[in-house]
Amino acid sequence: MALTAKFVKTQELLFELRVADVMRRDVITVRPDQTMTELRRILRDHRISGTPVAAGDELVGMITIADLIAFLNSDGEEALIGDKMTANPDSLFSDQLLVHAIQQFDATRFGRFPVLDPRSRKLVGILTKGLIIEGMLRAMEQAFQEEEIRQYRASHIFEDMVAEYKEIYLTYELVGRDFDRAGKASTQMKRNLKRLGIRPDIIHRLAVASYEAEMNTVLYAESGVMEFRIAPEEIVMRLRDRGPGIADVEKAKQPGYSGAPEWVREMGFGAGMGIPNIIKCADRIDLQSTVGVGTTLSVRIFTGAGANRAGDEGGGT
Amino acid sequence: MTLREVVEELSAEVLHGAEEELNGTVATVAAGDLMSDVLTRATIADLLVTGLSNMQTIRTATVAGIKSIVIVRGKPVSPQMIDLAREEDLVLMVTGMKLFEAAGRLWARGLRTGETRA
Repeated sequence: MALTAKFVKTQELLFELRVADVMRRDVITVRPDQTMTELRRILRDHRISGTPVAAGDELVGMITIADLIAFLNSDGEEALIGDKMTANPDSLFSDQLLVHAIQQFDATRFGRFPVLDPRSRKLVGILTKGLIIEGMLRAMEQAFQEEEIRQYRASHIFEDMVAEYKEIYLTYELVGRDFDRAGKASTQMKRNLKRLGIRPDIIHRLAVASYEAEMNTVLYAESGVMEFRIAPEEIVMRLRDRGPGIADVEKAKQPGYSGAPEWVREMGFGAGMGIPNIIKCADRIDLQSTVGVGTTLSVRIFTGAGANRAGDEGGGT
Repeated sequence: MTLREVVEELSAEVLHGAEEELNGTVATVAAGDLMSDVLTRATIADLLVTGLSNMQTIRTATVAGIKSIVIVRGKPVSPQMIDLAREEDLVLMVTGMKLFEAAGRLWARGLRTGETRA
């Protein structure tokens, strides 16, 4: 981002923030019937240089270290805070824009302002210049992080790139019977698609189809290559494996048809739901198999503006 | 209910999951040993309750977008499964209860499948 753009962004933040966003809510207050000696202890203990004077939650004045010094320089007679405070002090409302509060700091040269609720007029917070700086830094950090996340996700990659054809390929190698890694390719693919900013329901359908297909290869075949072609309008997964193949492809598309041995069922699969699940998730599938050679499965999911929502009837073959 | 309440209701042991993650709430549950059934759900469940304890349990939850898992019948959970749960940022716990009892207790506490019956 150019420096001027950053500066504009900071200015915008200033106009978005309100007093309530940066004020301190746990206000230390004193009562008008407390003594100036007590005030001295309170200011010292809390390391503050001024505080609102409140009767209940009603603001009645402000008292500062300057008032205390004036009191200490006088003849030493004990006095009440109520007699030494500034009564009816200037205050801010919690819903005021922070820029207006800053103008008020400038105009009055006060170090702090009590903050009142605009409706009840009760004391709800205090604002100092230090709190304004802290709040601004916090807001800038948050805005910066959001910007970073947006860039990291690369969501606009297809809009940002200029070319006649825009496609991204992800390729994963699969190893038969490697059950510790089985599913890893599909979960990695899912994470990458999230970063690309693909719609979550489309990612979900693709991840389920991809995982079922990956499991089929790991369970039955020797090896396979799974490739995802991500284009602006569609995502196509193609999985080619070397293995025993499927004898009756049409039967394999029927729910409940399974030739899986017992050990496959123990893995949590093998109920004849794999290919039907894939069909359910896909907009188009193509399944070709040669016994003793291997199987090639293509799954196409449309991602353009008119793409199916999750739960819509997909599954054309 | 919160995941912490699930832990208490099922007398479960948490194998992975930070304190603040256990404050997260769950409303919907997928229960079963067949991962294809879990994957074919039309909606994403908050919690998977299953008697299947292998790497595919964790992978299935990740693919299906489920953020927490209860393994039932006190089945042993491998260190690789716990590592994968950490990597995928899932809450993983194990209970000695059988699937039927665990699911029944969660139903009684107001959790549902989250899917309308056909």
